[in-house]
Amino acid sequence: MSTGWSLWVMFLVVLNMGITFFLYLWGPRAKIPTLPDGTSGHVWAHGVLREGVRRLPLWWVLFSGAMFVAGFTYLALFPGFGSFKGLLDWTSHGELARAVAANDARLDPLLERFRLYPVEQLAGDRQARAMGKVLFEDNCAACHQRSGKGNILLGAPNLTDDDWLYGGSGDDITTSIHDGRSGVMPPWASLGEDNVDNLVQYVLSLSGSPHDAAKAAAGKPLFATCAACHGPDGKGNQALGAPNLTDHIWLYGGTVADIHQTVHDGRQGHMPAWGTRLTADQIHVLAAYVYHWSHPTDDDKH
Amino acid sequence: MAYKHFEAIEKHAGLLGVLIAIMVSLGGLAEITPLFMEAHSVKPPPGVQPYDALRLMGRDVYVENGCYLCHSQMIRALRFETERYGHYSTAAESVYDRPFQWGSKRTGPDLARVGGKYSDEWQRLHLMAPRQLVPQSNMPGYPWLAQNKLDGADVQARMRTLRRLGDPYTDAQIAAAPAAVAGKTEMDALIAYLQGLGIDNEPRPPVGGAAAAGAAPASDGGTP
Repeated sequence: MSTGWSLWVMFLVVLNMGITFFLYLWGPRAKIPTLPDGTSGHVWAHGVLREGVRRLPLWWVLFSGAMFVAGFTYLALFPGFGSFKGLLDWTSHGELARAVAANDARLDPLLERFRLYPVEQLAGDRQARAMGKVLFEDNCAACHQRSGKGNILLGAPNLTDDDWLYGGSGDDITTSIHDGRSGVMPPWASLGEDNVDNLVQYVLSLSGSPHDAAKAAAGKPLFATCAACHGPDGKGNQALGAPNLTDHIWLYGGTVADIHQTVHDGRQGHMPAWGTRLTADQIHVLAAYVYHWSHPTDDDKH
Repeated sequence: MAYKHFEAIEKHAGLLGVLIAIMVSLGGLAEITPLFMEAHSVKPPPGVQPYDALRLMGRDVYVENGCYLCHSQMIRALRFETERYGHYSTAAESVYDRPFQWGSKRTGPDLARVGGKYSDEWQRLHLMAPRQLVPQSNMPGYPWLAQNKLDGADVQARMRTLRRLGDPYTDAQIAAAPAAVAGKTEMDALIAYLQGLGIDNEPRPPVGGAAAAGAAPASDGGTP
């Protein structure tokens, strides 16, 4: 605030507080002309309503006095009187810094302990999982659901099974959270409708799902193109995030229509990078929470 | 001042009203006027640019559909907000927002730094029907946005109006605007707007670390 506006605020504060404080001091001492009937002579409604004269009640005088004390004390301690910072030097950002520091001090011993363990071991720690649960629900559940079961509309994988697109070790999970992942399956509409249909049946056959054997046989030679990412036997490739097609787990749904859309139009799965939003400690704890789902420990059974 | 003057105030509602208005306005004159008069001194920090054509339309779709009724774009300097949403918002980040989207109304989460938190596809599915992604959500779906096409001439008119108000759009940017929104829907515009919120304009901690306790710029609300 410039000096001019600071003076402007000071002037208004003095004016406002001055007028009200003057009234407060003057009110109880005011000489009020009183008629013999105990009224001030002010009448309304042709004399039906008359104004009585009474002393100000003591509770009102004391209460108002306390309000002035509170007001003047506030202006002395906190910012409010122009650019005067107040005797306490209080700022909302300083308050935030204190709150953050107090919380950090509370969590630091915990986090220091968490840092000692790799993700796989930390997953067995109840306190780490409790912290991970909060972080997961705030940041991850919008795609993966609170249950961690994922969402086939988005291609957000189920995190509770033992099937991993990019690897399920603690380091793999940490990398996925920190850097995010972008999966790209190109569209194969250019192969023609018949070929796409045949490929879909062949893909279904890989997992032993019900399929049309003749179409699957016709689709098999075409799979050579798909093998570049999914491998010759369709078991996928974690280096690329290419899903295993031989299990019964379908990232975007396992109906004929779903698979047809996947092959025909391709899929673009995108997991944002969390390295910029979460701290390394938070990601470490989250990875442990996620790891725990597919590696339940003995204490879950109670 | 004698007591007799009070009879005039007591008995004339108009005079009483005028005097009350004067006393009540002292607060506004002290709290609002200085900030209002000094608003022009808030300068955009590095990374804060006027909205490009598509995001500008997205901002208007956001306002038209009343998103602000449930979502604010102001992270307060409170730990439970900065933990969840990121660095607190600063006035300088909102210099190109007309109307600004500040507030503390949290029927839905604050969106000041939602950009990049979810994928584009998540935003699309969520705007079409929120509960297919977040079962406990009470947000309505906005499927019609995917039907409504944007108008290139319209966006140019909006950019020219904003330029008149002081936003630094160049002639080249305005000329390129119709191409930028060609074939795009209101849904595309809104997603582009949301994905840009808070990106690249988070206040940087002072270099050196020790300076963190030092004076923050006025635009940061630190040192008035």
